[in-house]
Amino acid sequence: MKEHSVKIVVNGERHHLTVGSEMTLLEVLRDRLGLKGVKEGCSKGECGACTVLVDGRPVNSCLLLAVEADGKEIITIEGVERDGQLNPIQEEFIEHGAVQCGFCTPGMIISAKYLIENNPDPSEEEIREAISGNLCRCTGYVRIISAIKSAVDKYSMR
Amino acid sequence: MQEILRKKKTEYRYVGKPVRRVDGYKKVTGRAVYTVDVDLPGMLHGKILRSPHPHAIIKSIDTSKAERLPGVKAIITGKDTEGVRFGFVETPHMPADMPPLAEDRVRYVGEAVAAVAATSEKVAVKAINLIEVEYEPLKAVFHPEEAMKPEAPAIHDVIYPSGRSFWQEWGVERDSTPQKVERNIASTLKLEIGDVEEGFGNADHVKEGRFETNVTAHGALEPHGAVARYSEGRLDVWLSHMGPYMKRYWLARTMGLPESHVRVRPAFVGGAFGGKIDLFDYEYIASHLSRLTGRPVKIVLTRREVFQATRLRHPMIFYIKTGVKKDGRITAMDIKAIDDTGAYRGTGPVVVYLAHAFSIPIYRIPNLRYTGYAVYTNNPVRVAMRGHGAPQARFAVEQQIDEIAEEAGLDPYEIRMINARERGDVLPNGDVLNSCGLKEALTRAVEDGKFLQKYGKHRGKGRGVGIGLTSMFSGAQFYPFGATGVVLLHDDGGATVFTGAIEFGQGSDTMMCQIVAEELGIDMERVSILSGDSELCPIALDNWLSGGTFVNGRAVQLAAIDARNKLFEYAAELLGVSRDELQAEDNVIYSVDDPSKRIPHEKVVKYAIHRNRGQQIVGVGHATPVEGAYWYPSLTTGKGRFTGAYSFSATFAEVEVDFETGVVKVVRIINAHDCGYPINPVLVEGQAEGQGYMGMGQVLFEEVIEEKGTILNPNFLDYLMPTSIDVPEMKTIHIETHDPNGPFGGKEVGEGVIAGVVSAIANAIYDATGVRFRKLPILPSDILDALEGRE
Repeated sequence: MKEHSVKIVVNGERHHLTVGSEMTLLEVLRDRLGLKGVKEGCSKGECGACTVLVDGRPVNSCLLLAVEADGKEIITIEGVERDGQLNPIQEEFIEHGAVQCGFCTPGMIISAKYLIENNPDPSEEEIREAISGNLCRCTGYVRIISAIKSAVDKYSMR
Repeated sequence: MQEILRKKKTEYRYVGKPVRRVDGYKKVTGRAVYTVDVDLPGMLHGKILRSPHPHAIIKSIDTSKAERLPGVKAIITGKDTEGVRFGFVETPHMPADMPPLAEDRVRYVGEAVAAVAATSEKVAVKAINLIEVEYEPLKAVFHPEEAMKPEAPAIHDVIYPSGRSFWQEWGVERDSTPQKVERNIASTLKLEIGDVEEGFGNADHVKEGRFETNVTAHGALEPHGAVARYSEGRLDVWLSHMGPYMKRYWLARTMGLPESHVRVRPAFVGGAFGGKIDLFDYEYIASHLSRLTGRPVKIVLTRREVFQATRLRHPMIFYIKTGVKKDGRITAMDIKAIDDTGAYRGTGPVVVYLAHAFSIPIYRIPNLRYTGYAVYTNNPVRVAMRGHGAPQARFAVEQQIDEIAEEAGLDPYEIRMINARERGDVLPNGDVLNSCGLKEALTRAVEDGKFLQKYGKHRGKGRGVGIGLTSMFSGAQFYPFGATGVVLLHDDGGATVFTGAIEFGQGSDTMMCQIVAEELGIDMERVSILSGDSELCPIALDNWLSGGTFVNGRAVQLAAIDARNKLFEYAAELLGVSRDELQAEDNVIYSVDDPSKRIPHEKVVKYAIHRNRGQQIVGVGHATPVEGAYWYPSLTTGKGRFTGAYSFSATFAEVEVDFETGVVKVVRIINAHDCGYPINPVLVEGQAEGQGYMGMGQVLFEEVIEEKGTILNPNFLDYLMPTSIDVPEMKTIHIETHDPNGPFGGKEVGEGVIAGVVSAIANAIYDATGVRFRKLPILPSDILDALEGRE
């Protein structure tokens, strides 16, 4: 099996790694870098639990090969909190009861972050659309949607 | 014992308030550690080779090639685990029937045949692919009514006990006997109340129908997994589960260890919904492989394995006959239920009982006959899924109630109000409804949804409304028959609560902390919790028994009260007052008669420790589902007390049906729910909404498609669960009934609501289309076929 040298920046930290051709970004994040906040629910890009930002765009990290991430900047759930301060999305997820088992939460928050940072005033339809690739089996989504709406307001006040 | 807080309800600081989850921070930052996240030094990875056949003899297994693969540390087959059995159900007459690895025969696609432990998951996968198994396929059967025919292939012959039964361990002094399985029937429940024939004789209207429900999947986002570490005769396990005690019991028994040598460690659980209750093959296999290799072993199932080889919801068939008087009073009901329980017993005998037990608290039915069969087939094994029999039964009964109401010229609300039970009712098994908000819930849901203004107004024109009722238990007399809670006070005035209850998303940890903070009169930030560790925590009902609040919460409440009483003894001494006049609030204990006499908790706890031989204050409390009842009800007669409190709910649903495409859009779901008292309204609403969503999925989208026992859609792309786009407007109305035996009056909320949702949507679809659908799911193609008069 061929080995490749890959340079990635994860949550602001530079990493220089040797990876196999078949290794996914998810495996690198969880197994090599110990970023267990990135969740694996299906390994096939169906559930969205492993969503991370790759150069600012949400990606199912189980579908991206590590070699494809070479040279890219990655943000995982571990990189959303800054200087000990929760991001407004994280705050509002707690406040609204948008978290139950929590397994979809990291991916959900990443998708919401992408939405809000690229569309400062999303409609409810746009919010629903933005998280439609992130399955949640606990909440029925109602509180996730209301949490994101509140986070939008908080972002606009920042 | 001073039980009642002097505070009035409006003065509660935490209880009844939408307090933020105590595990919220960990979960939004990715810090919550789930079983799949646990890695231990030297850990091996396990993989399981599973049967591709629904029914076959294993002629030979050749593991030699796999053994030679570098990195393979151990391989086991059924020969290594011969005679080991486990099962959700084990009674003196129904022995546990499931082996961790098939011995001479496989009975379903996905049954474990061999397992490997290797240095990496990739090596383990390679190794299982190198194992050669020769099968001789046998005739198989996939439909329970076919399986009950005399000519059907026998899936089990005689099931032999694998030791003293579970119930013998707990005092049922009946010897275990082998079970000769006849016509593939795993269990039969028969009961009759009153005189059914006479009841039908007195009826003015009689309706009969056959209803059929679907196989659905729990779809918990965290896949099933286990990490096992066996060392020095002790087993440590991290599991994705719903309560440590069923797991510990079976791991101890199958591994031949004393219970105190098995420790189920706490880990966050990524969803369960009933699907992670009983012992699974991979949990035993990981433990066995760890003992064999002396290294920790981790097994995480693939999503396909989760579908095919763990558990699914029971599909059930109901034949129902109902008789009512002209005025709408039910005179008789005759129900025959047939459950396809899959290749092993699973929860079959229990779901057959529960489909009855969750129905009987709803309507007063003077004459009732219920016959239920759990039937073996060569399908994957079934277990509890949210509501466990209730959605199945409500789908059938609530629709038939609507049908017969229409025939009698009554509206669906009227007929339900005429027959619905009330507080004080005593059920045929002796259970008492000490609290019952059923009629109030129904009325509130109907009013809020403007049901009477809308019902029948657009019949057959694509818009409709429906209602459905449901009830659910609050813990039952099953191992460990109750709970102990412990509250430890620290010398800074803070507290730690210890409970065997587990947090799998429902908010158990948060509720416990609220209760303790309230009872002790301290800030919630000062309360921490250690839950779900089978060694460090006192015993509790596994949370799949729906007694999380009513029983486990009650035990913790009593523990907090016990701690407070001890605290007050010392405080009274220090303040020179009587302990009966003390109150605790805002981290201070004071005399209600002379509020100037006050002392912080901290000083009292320090005094207790420093001046009393290190007496740290420890409060202990105990609770049980039903006082004076010591066994689960009979699974063959339905006799015996079941639970101490039932919750109730009424659902209103409104739908739009597109007659061009057959697509149903659920516009609105309103759940009026009586959980006694919502200790945390946000958590309660979260439970109701999750069930609204899941119930909608069960009616409109979700179906595990089994083709000769192989699941054709074992993934989230083909097994359609509703997404954020599909979810309707949902509202929860709290009906407060204050059960006298629940903590602060609280009872169950986690799994009853879904059954009302399923039946309300089905009834609404009838209202919108004018067609009665008696089979789930109700797909667009079914609707188009019906509208166009096709079968």
